[in-house]
Amino acid sequence: MSDGKTVKDVMIGIFEYPHVPYWFSLSQAIRIVKVSFLSTKKYMDPMAVLVFDEKYNLMGTLTLKDILMGLEPQFLKPTGKAQVPAEDETGLSLLWDTMFDESSRELAEKPVSEVMAPAKYFVEPADPVTKAAYLMLRHDLILLPVLENKKKFVGLVRMIEVFDAISDSVLKE
Amino acid sequence: MELIDREDHQKLYLQLYVILKKKIENSEWPVGSQIPTEEELCKTFNVSRATVRTAVLELVRQGYLKRQQGKGTFIFRSMVSEGLTMLTNFRELFFEEGLDFDTNVLARTVMMPVDDLDSKLDIAKDKHVIYIKRLRFIDSEPVLLQESYIPYHICPLLLEEDLRQQSVFDLFEKKYGIKITRVKNYVEITYLNADESSFIGLPEASPVILLNQYFYSGETLIMYTRSIKRTDRFKFLMELERKVA
Repeated sequence: MSDGKTVKDVMIGIFEYPHVPYWFSLSQAIRIVKVSFLSTKKYMDPMAVLVFDEKYNLMGTLTLKDILMGLEPQFLKPTGKAQVPAEDETGLSLLWDTMFDESSRELAEKPVSEVMAPAKYFVEPADPVTKAAYLMLRHDLILLPVLENKKKFVGLVRMIEVFDAISDSVLKE
Repeated sequence: MELIDREDHQKLYLQLYVILKKKIENSEWPVGSQIPTEEELCKTFNVSRATVRTAVLELVRQGYLKRQQGKGTFIFRSMVSEGLTMLTNFRELFFEEGLDFDTNVLARTVMMPVDDLDSKLDIAKDKHVIYIKRLRFIDSEPVLLQESYIPYHICPLLLEEDLRQQSVFDLFEKKYGIKITRVKNYVEITYLNADESSFIGLPEASPVILLNQYFYSGETLIMYTRSIKRTDRFKFLMELERKVA
């Protein structure tokens, strides 16, 4: 499957995405997202910011969803895993009125490292695209970093390229 | 009111820059006040938005104006030191002669230009910037905290260099063939914030020297550096040469 395509064939450059160090605040990240994507109408899929440490190692990714969750106190709590039927909360209008209130401004000052999705899984340029597909599907990843010799961050694999590569071979007659 | 002279051979933005600078220097626009919007300036001086932007950007870069995100542009100071003509080599501008520094690289990473960094580096807000933060020691005592910002496209390979042993300066000139032709220095006294004091080892709010430097290669701004220096360990030597006409 995927016609022997490797990660190197489908990966994109890391400078397609904005970079921030982990100590940047959420409000700084929001401004960067607005400048890099929204104001220029560069609607990439996914829209994300790459978070690095002080030695320029990738620490994680920050999507629009991560940012919004970081701004809303109730999403900061760990998700409950109780073995009881989930309550439908969408009928509580009170909930919508109190979401993203004044406290969101304070939360916007915390560092991006607190809300980013940590980068745990990687592929190498020579790995097959199917390995990237496996990792992305198994771990629900939107972006998969590509490391050269397990160290140098050289690219990113997105779902769109993985889909393209896999679907080509599925449709091939 | 002084207006743009379209018969003048001088570029429009330069004329506008001179007019606005005068307004600041003679306090017609006092420090702390907000300057008119781009649109108002376009109307007043009958020039394009690009002309206004370029003139304002130059005043920001020179330290007369300060941009505040979402609020506008304000008068920051009414007097800015004129550029000093450099005679000495650039290392001597950084350090007192004969001193040996040890360097600890606290950070070398990539970021986007936040706050007014895009104006300082004269780049678009969506361009990547290399960020280097170094702490320098003399006899194991921290004396200089330096943050450098370099547009990524100027020298991407800087991210792979050992910056403990080599100066960015030497790398630019000797390895990458980027000649520094001009440096603008702005020296002022400032007071340590909590973060800086933890590095420099002096109490918060201690007075220190703040040196803002803009490095040019030809007309291209290639690096902005902000250095905090202990006042007790530094002397400044500024040797000037009058250019012979």
